[in-house]
This record gives sequence, C-alpha cells and structure tokens, in this order.
Amino acid sequence: MQEKLKDLVARATEEAKNIKNEADYLNIKSKFLGKKSELSELMSSIKLMSTEDKKKFGPLFNKIKNEFEELFSKKLEEAENVNDKLTFDPTLPISEDHGSLHPVTIVGREVTNILKDMGFMIFTGPEMDNEYYNFEALNVPKTHPARDMQDTYWLDNGMLLRTQTSSVQNRAMKKYGAPLRVCAPGRCFRNEDLDASHENTFFQLEGMVIDENISISNLIYTMEGMLKEVFKKDIKVRLRPGFFPFTEPGFELDCSCTICDGKGCSTCKNSGWIELCPCGMIHPNVLEEGGIDSTKYSGFAFGLGLTRLAMMKYKINDIRVLNSGDLRHLEGFNVR
Amino acid sequence: MKISCNILKKHIKNSEDIDFIKVWDKFTIRTAEVEGIEVRGTQFDGVVTAKILEVKEHPESKKLHILKVDTGNETLQIVCGAPNVRVGLIGACIKVGGHIDDITIGVRPLVGIDSYGMMCSGKELGISDDHNGIIELPDDTPVGVNFKELFPVEDIIVEIDNKSLTHRPDLWGHYGIAREIAAITGHELLPLELNEENPNKEKLKIEINNPESCYRYVGTKLDNITNNVTPMWMQIFLYYAGMRSINLLVDLTNYIMLELGQPMHAFDSRVVQNIEVGFAKENDTYTTLDGQERNLTSEDLMIKNGGKYFAIAGVMGGLDSEIVEDTTSIVLESASFEASTVRKTAIRLGLRTEASSRYEKSLDPNLAIIAANRFIKLLKDENPSMKFGSSITDVYPTIQGENKIALNKDYLYKYMGFNIEDDIVIQILSSLGFKVKNNSKKFDIIVPTYRSTKDISMPADIIEEISRMYGYENFSHIPLKMDMTFGNNEIVYDTEYNVKDYLANKYNFHEVHTYLWNKSTFLKKINVSYDNVKLLGKVEDNILRKDLNLSLLEVSTVNIKNYNEIGIFEIGTVINENENHRQLSILLIKNKENLKDGYYLIKECVYNLFKTFKNIDIKFDLCPAEEYYNKDLTLRIIANNNVIGNISVFNNSITNAISKKKVFICANIDFDKYIELESDKYLYEEVSKYPTTTLDYTIITERGTFYKELENVLDNFKSPIILKRSLIGIYLDGDTKKVTIRYTVGSLEKTLTSEELEDFKKQFIMHIHDNNLNIIEN
Repeated sequence: MQEKLKDLVARATEEAKNIKNEADYLNIKSKFLGKKSELSELMSSIKLMSTEDKKKFGPLFNKIKNEFEELFSKKLEEAENVNDKLTFDPTLPISEDHGSLHPVTIVGREVTNILKDMGFMIFTGPEMDNEYYNFEALNVPKTHPARDMQDTYWLDNGMLLRTQTSSVQNRAMKKYGAPLRVCAPGRCFRNEDLDASHENTFFQLEGMVIDENISISNLIYTMEGMLKEVFKKDIKVRLRPGFFPFTEPGFELDCSCTICDGKGCSTCKNSGWIELCPCGMIHPNVLEEGGIDSTKYSGFAFGLGLTRLAMMKYKINDIRVLNSGDLRHLEGFNVR
Repeated sequence: MKISCNILKKHIKNSEDIDFIKVWDKFTIRTAEVEGIEVRGTQFDGVVTAKILEVKEHPESKKLHILKVDTGNETLQIVCGAPNVRVGLIGACIKVGGHIDDITIGVRPLVGIDSYGMMCSGKELGISDDHNGIIELPDDTPVGVNFKELFPVEDIIVEIDNKSLTHRPDLWGHYGIAREIAAITGHELLPLELNEENPNKEKLKIEINNPESCYRYVGTKLDNITNNVTPMWMQIFLYYAGMRSINLLVDLTNYIMLELGQPMHAFDSRVVQNIEVGFAKENDTYTTLDGQERNLTSEDLMIKNGGKYFAIAGVMGGLDSEIVEDTTSIVLESASFEASTVRKTAIRLGLRTEASSRYEKSLDPNLAIIAANRFIKLLKDENPSMKFGSSITDVYPTIQGENKIALNKDYLYKYMGFNIEDDIVIQILSSLGFKVKNNSKKFDIIVPTYRSTKDISMPADIIEEISRMYGYENFSHIPLKMDMTFGNNEIVYDTEYNVKDYLANKYNFHEVHTYLWNKSTFLKKINVSYDNVKLLGKVEDNILRKDLNLSLLEVSTVNIKNYNEIGIFEIGTVINENENHRQLSILLIKNKENLKDGYYLIKECVYNLFKTFKNIDIKFDLCPAEEYYNKDLTLRIIANNNVIGNISVFNNSITNAISKKKVFICANIDFDKYIELESDKYLYEEVSKYPTTTLDYTIITERGTFYKELENVLDNFKSPIILKRSLIGIYLDGDTKKVTIRYTVGSLEKTLTSEELEDFKKQFIMHIHDNNLNIIEN
C-alpha cells in the first residue's frame, strides 16, 4: 500500500507540471481525484482494512487528497500568471501623449477660483472695443495725456483694441449696479515692440469691488491675501503711488520677484521688485459714469497682469514664448 | 527726468541731514517711480586749479607743448597736447598721485620730456563733452584750490520715470521735487530767491487774442547784458541733466525750466516789436528753429511779433529771434498755455519738446511770474550792471485761483479704513503747501495753485495726499465684509475653461494662444488673402483675423518641424462684420495617409463637446466651403437646427507650402452660440423588464454613396418598437458598399410576440426595397 501511494504521488506531481490552463487542470483533477480515480478506489478499499490500518491510512488518504488539490490549483495559478507575464513587457514606458493647457489659462483659472472663493463673479468683455469703454467711461477724456501712456492700437473702423481690462468696469456697473464684486480676465493689446519682457498682446485680470464702506485697507488685505494664495507663499508686497485717471488714489502694486527671490535679475530689471498690478480706489467720476452714487458707495479695482503672473509662477523668462504657439515650450503645461 | 541732488540741497534747509542715496526708496513709495540713481564726479581726485605761466614748443613734436604751471604751492613742468594752451589760462591740473578712472597719475615722459601731471579737458573730468582742448576757467578763479571744493562736480543724479509724473505739473522741476523730499523727510523747504524789483517803465506791447488758450504772458526787456558766460556750476548741472551748455542767456532759460518746471524763451530784443498770442491761420507755414518748414492749422497757438509768426506757443521758436553772439538786450517770455492746445500741436507736428511736455501737464500760471523773477535774479548775479528796458509786463486775463475743498472726516476714515489723527492730517497737508482749517467734522483745505490746475479738485484727491504721505506700508489690513446673498454669475469663462480642459485631457490636444492678426508673410506663403478691419499706422501684420483656423495653421509651421502628428486648439476672438466673435478652433496635423482617422477623431471630438457639456446630439451636413478648404470634406455642425460651426480640411494646394506630407484637419465652433445653447435636460429612461431582440441587417449601396443618404432612409423608417439603432460596420466589396446596422427592438409593457417581430422585419425590408436598395438579413 505504501508503495502504491508513493508511486501515485510521484505520478501526480509529475503530471501536475503539465497544467497550462484550466482544461488541463480539470483533466488532471478528474484523473487523480475523480470518482474513478486510483485514489478513490484506494479510499473505498478502507472499509476492508483492519482497525489499525484504518487508523493509519484514513488520515493519510485525506492528507494526500488535500495535497493534490492544493498542488493542482497552485499549478493552475502559476500557469495562468506565467501566461500573463509572457504576453507583455511590464517595464515598457507609458505613452507620453498628453495634452496641455496654456500657462495663462492655468493661472487664470487659479486666480479666478481664488476670487470666486472670495465672492467675486466672473465677467467678460470684448477685445475690440470703442473709445467710450476704454477711455471716456474711465475718466480719460480725449485730450488727456494718459492716452499717450498706453500705445493704443486704433482701427480703421473707428474702434480700438482694448488697452486694459478696465474697459469692462462701466459695463459691469451698469449691468449689475452696487454692491458688486466682479473679476474679468481677458486679453489686451498695446502697440509695443516685442522683446523678452514686452508683448503687444497680453492678458490681464480686472478685479473690482464696490460697496458702502470699501477702503484702501480692504484693498491691501484683498490683494495680499489673493497673491499669497496664488503663489502659495508669503511673498512681499508693496504699494506705491501710481497715476491712472480712473483711480483716486491710484497705486502700483509690486511684489518681490519670484524668479530671483528679490535678488535682482533681468525680469525685474535688477530691482528685486516686479510691477505686478496697478490698482486703486475707483475714481468717483468712474462710479458716477457707471450709474453708481459715489457719495454712498466706494470701491477699489485692480488690473492683475495674468501674463506676468504666469511668467513668475512658471519662471518663464521670455514673454514671447507665450504667444509663440511653439509646443516645445508649451506642451509641458499639463498640470492642473 | 534727471534730478540733481546738489540742486535739491540748495532748496532744503539742513539738507545735510538727508541721506540722498537712501531717500529715493521712500520717494518711490511716497511720490513717484525712480528709475536709477547715479553717483557722478567720484571718478577722479587730486585735481587742482592751475595757471599756465609759460608755454614752450616741444623740440621733438609739433603738437605738444611744454608748460610751466602754477598749482598754488609748486610750479610743475607739464607736457600738454591741447591746442588751446596759452599763458595766463587757468585750468584744471591733475597732479602726480591723483586718480582718474582707476588710473594713477605718475611722472611720465612724453616724447622724451617728463610731464609731472596733466591738464584736463572737460570730458576727462566728466563734466562736459568737450575734448577739443583743456578746460578754461574764469580769470578770477583762485589758483591751487581743489577743483571739487570750487565746483559741484560730485553729485547724485536721479532719473525719475516721466510716466509716473504725468498728473503732477508741480514735479517737472527740481523745486517741486525738493518740496516732496522736504515733506517726506520732515525738512523745511527754503523760499526761492527772486528779483523783487519792477521798475516803473514803459510796458511791452503784449496782447492775448485767445485767453482760453493763453492764460498768462509775462514779458520784460532786459538791457546791458555784457556777460554771456555761464558759470561753471550751472554748466556742470546742465551737463548732468542731459543738456548742452550754449551761453548764459540760453542756459538760464533751460536752468529755470529744470529748476522750476516753467519753460521760457529769451528773444533778441532787436527783433521784438509787439507781441500777440493767437491761433494760426489755416494752411499758413512757419519755419521752426530746427530749420524745418511746418504747416499750420487754425488749432495751433502762435506767438506773433510785428504781425509775423515768431514762435509756436509752448513748442518751439523760430530762427529769426535767436540769441546771437552780439546780443546784449533780450525780451524774456514766461507764459502759460492751455495744456491740450500745446499737446495737440506738438503731437501733430511730431515736436515733443521739453517745453511742450511740461505745458501739456497743465502748469500753474502763477509759476510764470515766479520764474521770470527767478531768471532776472540769476541773470543779475552774473550781470550786476543789467538794466530793465521795460517794466515787467504781465498780461493775466483770468487769475488761477486756489481750489477749496472740504474733506469730511468720515469720508476720509471710510476711504482709509481707519481713523487718522487730526494732527497727522494737518502736518502732512501743510508740508505739501496746503492750508488746512480743522472744523470738527471736516477739514477745510486750500490747495496751492501749483496743485490746483488739474491735479487736485475733489476730496478723493486730498485723501491720496494724506494716504501716500502717511505711508501705505503703515495701513491696516482689513478683510472685506460680505453679505451672503447669492451673486450673479456668468458662465462664459467657466465654460471656456471646461472645454479647454476637456480637449487637453480627453483628446490630448494642446492649447495655444495666437495673435489677433495673421502674419502677412504667412498669408503670402500660403497664398491666402482676405479683407477685414485693419490696424492703423501699420502696413504689415495689420488685418484682423476672420478665421481662427488660419492662426492655428500659422503656428503649425512652427511645430511641424518638431512633431509628427499633433492636435492644437484655441478659443479666441475673431472679427467679422465689425463685431467680436469668440471662436473655438481645433486643428489636427496628420500624415496624409491618416486623413480618415484624423477626420473621424475631430468629428467625434466635436460631437462629444456638445454631448458632454450640453447633452445635445448634433448633426453634420456636407456644405460649401471657403476656397482654401477642401470642398468635398467640409461639414456644417448643426445644433438644435442652427449652424454652429464647421469641420474642414485645408486644401493641399494651400498646405503644400507648409508640408507636402501632412494634412491639416480642423473644426471651428462659434463659441458665443455654443455658450448660449441651452443644455438638453437628461431625463431617466426606464429599462424594459421584458426581453429585447437584436436584429442585424446588411444593406447594400453603391460604393460611392455617403452613409448620410442611407441614414436619411433609415431615419424615415419609424416603428414604436425600435429602442435603438446602431451602425455595426461597413464593408467595401467591389462596386458596392455593405453597411451592417443593428436594431434593438422591444417594448416596455410586454414581451413582443413573434408576429410583431415578423411584422417589423417585413415592414423594414419593404422600406429598404422601396428605396431601391438591397438588403441581407443576418
């Protein structure tokens, strides 16, 4: 009996090696464990054994049976897994085909999301606009020298390409009235020669808050809070007097240069500061022109340079990259 | 504008307490932007005034001379090549051991003869451009004195950004800057030393015909001017400020302009008869100082003399009134012109002079008389025997008053966000020349005339003065308080972002930004032209775009070298019929053999943009195309029965100039319309509890038939038991095209009977046959 069993185990072990798929498994299982298998026959012969042998072989049969089951299913498992491994190479690199968003789009989204969290609505305005919205409604009359400050692209149909997103101010005021918290990202144009830091086509984000008790202190808090969120760090901010006909008082907001961390580089013209954002309290004339009572309401506005912001955030040192359409520069911007 | 700290120091009491390097950081955040600070005059030392005692020919050189020079405590032998050496000349001598531009002066042989130092030119000392000879100092200059003690060579020159001063007529001269520095540092501004004499003599004949454009004209005749040599300190200053020293009379007018901001003019009095200020006659001409003949219009304000044009008011004078060598008597003009009149003329003539750029800031008319008296004072310092040839004639029709502004304290506190002490307000405003009366709830403020012309006219303007001097860095940071009412929201920006995100992340396309115009060279290259709104003043790259696809094609030329197949997109403005339109454009660059794949991909992508974001099933329709697109491959995109865009393929004849191997497939969608499209609501559809049946049919059409035609046939077959129809496959077989479609049929109420099924089959096959098509039942 011992010999028989030994032989059986040897044969089963040998044949188990041939299990390559589920069919093999079922065949072998039926051969060695089925009702008509040798093992079954041996097990049914136990009835004829002496009590002593019963005690000896009973557990042994069961043990062998269990071992067989385990062996076969293990071999099947191995076979299945081996097959998988052979069909492909797990070490191949993944496809690098990945789309991208323009850096200004990504930054614009971030800033508008921050402003939305602060209760601002998002507004838009046209790129080709008229003198009224771009100048007159902003307290810049025809003869005002401020029109020289911005080299305007005038068009042969009497209109212009907006020089600033402030052109939305009057529209937003007339449409929604006060109180108002609004931001408007958009593209602006100035007739400038191109170099590493000058573009004729660039993006700004206009922000405007109008309510009954809006102060310079509110402006400082809001701008600082927003920029800290944008840069995710404690950047330094300073206000200087700045003159814009549509603000009074008007400011230039500078922040420490993020390319050189304030040490001085070509982007910040070695000053350590980047002129980021003209801002100010909305001029009473601009409020009135927008149909808002300037004795009751006050407000502030800012024109954040989204293009500049994108350059700072991604350490892009040549502004011309942004409108180049050259994907070698742009395809990496696939982060959200 | 360049500012000399030496001149500022003259106007500020105890100015030695001020650090004139550091103070500009404060100035930047209190007043205006500083572009640069330059320390001048430190590049040399060891220079003394020295008198030439003897001039001898050099034995070996025709150019060189051997000089004996008195340097005070010793007489030195100096070999000098300057042509203007002469006995008695007092010049500047750098002695052995002195330095100039990092060079140490030593004893040096010049063609065999030792030189114990060097006589310097103005250029070598950095105080003029003159290198024709050695510097010549006045005969009364003491000898042997350190040059720097005698003359203000060491200076700090500060460049202030003109753009940050456009609103401040008072800051276009040193005195105004000095007032700001004094206020910032808590110092006292010294009053100007002025002429106080106005002799009771005959008046000059001055007439203002257009008082709305000429606010004031001060004229005076000054005789017996014998010294026309500019003092060295003023020469150095003018040079540092970027001007050329000419002679005392011209230099003084420039000096006053730089010191006070008031442009003035000195005419040779021999040509002056009677002065008239008025507008020119249309189409008249006038030749300006630079020799150019100018065409005039009736909007150009002119100074006339004896009935003839004499100068363009506030812009430039003419040749006939110039100061010449033998001028000993002048008529001084110090006038005030209306800003926009001067500005318009200056722009039209392309003559933006130092004078016009100041006048167009709205100068204070009261400055005109101050400047005249300052001129007379400084001229008299150099010409003690000068005499008045007339009284100071002042024609001043409308007197510029001081603005009076009441500033409510509540308004001030509201604007600042906190309460500020009265004393601080009063101190700040007083330091800037405002008069302040504290009236419990408000301040009554009198604005000095130099801030009253346009700069400060309302309470908000006063708040700026207080705020900037208080210092923005000292302000509180106060969060906005908001109410919780729902704000309005506009979906344009969010929709644009979502679509961009979808295209980038689902289809792996790349977003680009392109200009609002196509490059002319590009359009020429692909031989496409169109007419549209144009940029003025430009001859190239000047036509605004109508079709965003062309912009994407333009940037493809950049990318084609580096990428095989790629998709790009942009949402941008195009101009059509004088209106702004937002357009979404997608462009796929594919190898020519992959046209079909690319075309179907872009079609699927467009379909999904509507399905995903609007739940709208759009339709496509073949349609005619712009001539640069393939006429057989252009589809209209139709959403809710409106055409909303196109799918198209650029003609090879266009794109072969870019690449012969690639094909450029594009889609454009009118994004304004896309945003306005209302989303179809998705409503839950019940799933049949009863079994459904799928039926496959293969319909045989001619090979060249578009699926669209078959689709129309299928659309016309209607049955209540159709749950779904789908295209399974298309197989081309010889001249035929076999299209397999699958119907899923069933009912929500019951299991279909075999009769119903059979009936459906019969009806359908009949319908196909009725349309003259063959069908195989699978």
